[in-house]
Amino acid sequence: MLFNSIEFLIFFPIVFILYWFFKSSHKKQNILLLISSYVFYGWWDYRFLSLIIFSSFLDFYVGKKIESSPKKEEKKKWLIVSLCSNLGLLGVFKYYNFFADSFADTMSFIGWEVNDLTLNIILPVGISFYTFQTLSYSIDIYREKINATKNMVSFFTFVSLFPQLVAGPIERASNLIPQIEQNRKLNISLIKTGFLQIFIGLFRKVAIADNLGVYVDSIYANSDIHNATTLLIATIFYAFQIYFDFSGYSDIAIGSAKLLGFKFNRNFNLPYFSRTLTEFWRRWHMSLSFWLRDYLYISLGGNRKGIVLTYRNLMLTMLLGGLWHGSSWNFVIWGGIHGLFLSIEKYIFSSLKISTFNVLGYIYTFLVVLIAWIFFRAQDFDTASSIISKIFVLDFGSLFIGNLNQFVNGILLLIIGLMIDLKLFNAKIALEDYGDKYNIVRLSLIISVVILMLCLFYSTTENFIYFQF
Amino acid sequence: MNTRIIKELIKVVTMTIILSFVIDKIVFHTLNWISDKVYTGQSIGKLNQFLQIKDSKEVLVFGNSRANHHIDVKILGKSAYNMGVDGTGIAYSSALLNTLEKGTKQLIIVHIDTKNFFDNSYDGSDIKGLKIKYNRNEKITSFLNSSGHISIIQSFYKSLNYNGKVIGIIKNFYKPNYDYKTYNGYDPLFVNESDEKARDFILKIEDDHNCERKYQVNEIAMDYLKKIKVISESSKKQYLFITSPIYNDKCKKDNDILKEIMKQQNLQYIDYTDFFKGNNNNQFWKDKTHMTQSGAEKFTNELLKQVQFASKTN
Repeated sequence: MLFNSIEFLIFFPIVFILYWFFKSSHKKQNILLLISSYVFYGWWDYRFLSLIIFSSFLDFYVGKKIESSPKKEEKKKWLIVSLCSNLGLLGVFKYYNFFADSFADTMSFIGWEVNDLTLNIILPVGISFYTFQTLSYSIDIYREKINATKNMVSFFTFVSLFPQLVAGPIERASNLIPQIEQNRKLNISLIKTGFLQIFIGLFRKVAIADNLGVYVDSIYANSDIHNATTLLIATIFYAFQIYFDFSGYSDIAIGSAKLLGFKFNRNFNLPYFSRTLTEFWRRWHMSLSFWLRDYLYISLGGNRKGIVLTYRNLMLTMLLGGLWHGSSWNFVIWGGIHGLFLSIEKYIFSSLKISTFNVLGYIYTFLVVLIAWIFFRAQDFDTASSIISKIFVLDFGSLFIGNLNQFVNGILLLIIGLMIDLKLFNAKIALEDYGDKYNIVRLSLIISVVILMLCLFYSTTENFIYFQF
Repeated sequence: MNTRIIKELIKVVTMTIILSFVIDKIVFHTLNWISDKVYTGQSIGKLNQFLQIKDSKEVLVFGNSRANHHIDVKILGKSAYNMGVDGTGIAYSSALLNTLEKGTKQLIIVHIDTKNFFDNSYDGSDIKGLKIKYNRNEKITSFLNSSGHISIIQSFYKSLNYNGKVIGIIKNFYKPNYDYKTYNGYDPLFVNESDEKARDFILKIEDDHNCERKYQVNEIAMDYLKKIKVISESSKKQYLFITSPIYNDKCKKDNDILKEIMKQQNLQYIDYTDFFKGNNNNQFWKDKTHMTQSGAEKFTNELLKQVQFASKTN
């Protein structure tokens, strides 16, 4: 079920009313949430519910085993069970064809022809997100940061809670399970901030991102016939499309969770207002970048084992972070570009004893991110390199506009989106808290204007970009 | 959740519904007022002009961008208008045909493409381009209602009718693109010298053809064709269905099936897909499916012969 669908418009109010009807018992609320979450997920493909249920069973059991094992080795053994099972499932469903293809290509390169090993596998929506969520649960118990939950319904709800099930934010058990296991309360602040965030999220997604997406799709589908000017504009549009698409999704998820009495962690913090790439990663898809930092970078040794290993760890983390997004070398290269520039920054900061760049850093960061997005968006490596070479040999010419109406709408909406971000940046306030500033009349007025903008500018209903990951 | 919270929640929801309803109506009526004065641009101007002159023309052309850019109606006579609109299909055309006065003698040229008829994803949603006239033009409204493309939300938030079109309407209200009184609906395409290389490159690209695939007729397109047939039978107009040229059409199976369908429906149809075969020239093309002005001129002159023949037989 998509957040930007009529189904969700009916589904959410029903769940909301029933949920608060059981306000005296959080256990009943959890059962309702679990059922609703399975309905929400099953709306896409009920067969893959079995995967979530299996993953939940496994980690619930393994979590208890890790906690109850008296010896460190035994705890480690159970952690490995969790890691292998979760990553194994992810590997089969997400990466099998990628590795089978790459293996066949390598063999063919050295002269051995291998039969086609790829399988017709459907990627279950949200598998990367809930796998990371369940993994963090097992690892945190192993690290003795949290206790294993005794309540199966609570744990299953934690894994499948519908606002964040298919595309995050990747919530940690330490934040979410305690909220699941106690009575939730709805207050005026949550209502105001939640409503505003949902509608701003919808605006970001269906008005800004989807309008920009129409132009981006048309250019990237025929990138070989367009000049550098057009490709550059399409890539800039894509940079904002993916930002507004994913941050819009996160806003709807966080806002919906607020209306159910939950507080999710922030997932985006105006990432394009970053002076360094390091800062960008503290502001972009924060739940993933912090996950990679805490469970991968630190597990590899972080910066505690010397300068060479620090760079290796950084590079490995970003390469694997890239691969997390999808089974394609383009994502690996995308991660590699980020890893390389993060390493360069680390070197510069430690050599010059500085912690950030001056205002030109905003442009530098945006340019690096922009170049990396080309690999993220292009169909394959050849397309991405052809786009980059066109841009770098300055093959500029007249801009291809296509549908003028659509193009102008895209620019107008982008300006509005950026103005909202600029206002938040200058006011040093998060969108998560913004609704609190207004009384109910003003808030309703603002939401009404957003609804009007949605009516006038919504574009074709497209899937959220991050659903494919 | 205590009573105070419930009250506040109801207050937010109710106020939002009321305020958004009021704002929507203000904007909707303002846009109606503005759009009724716009006669240029494809967002609404062309439709307004069409609705004003539709029964006074002898020849009318309907269809998508290929109709719009391929049929130079000036060649067909002074009293001709091209109502081809980018991104539209047979659903849009049939709704417009329904607005014509039945008693007026006219030649109606309907441009159709195999794409609509054998594309499983075609859902007739191009008719949504007429939402701007929803509840403001009886005949268009009846077609829209039966199309299944009007959502329940639409009856509450009426400004949805202007989705994606506001900027174009406002721009054309303040600064019309052209003098609509001299406009005949035909929009010629040109290729600049600087774009010729790119055009030649596009024309050279080999498409993936799977001519052996099963060509399943799209039921929605078929339904609209039947609706046009009913409209044509109840009027004094002469209908001519055409498919204009394509740069290099390698599959003929779809064309043959479409010809057969038109024959079964007893509709006069001419397939010009291969019109340029043997004497093709890149100068005639903007891309593989759209002709430049010179291509359109050559093609319309050929079409004129058929139109003259039709006039004699009518």
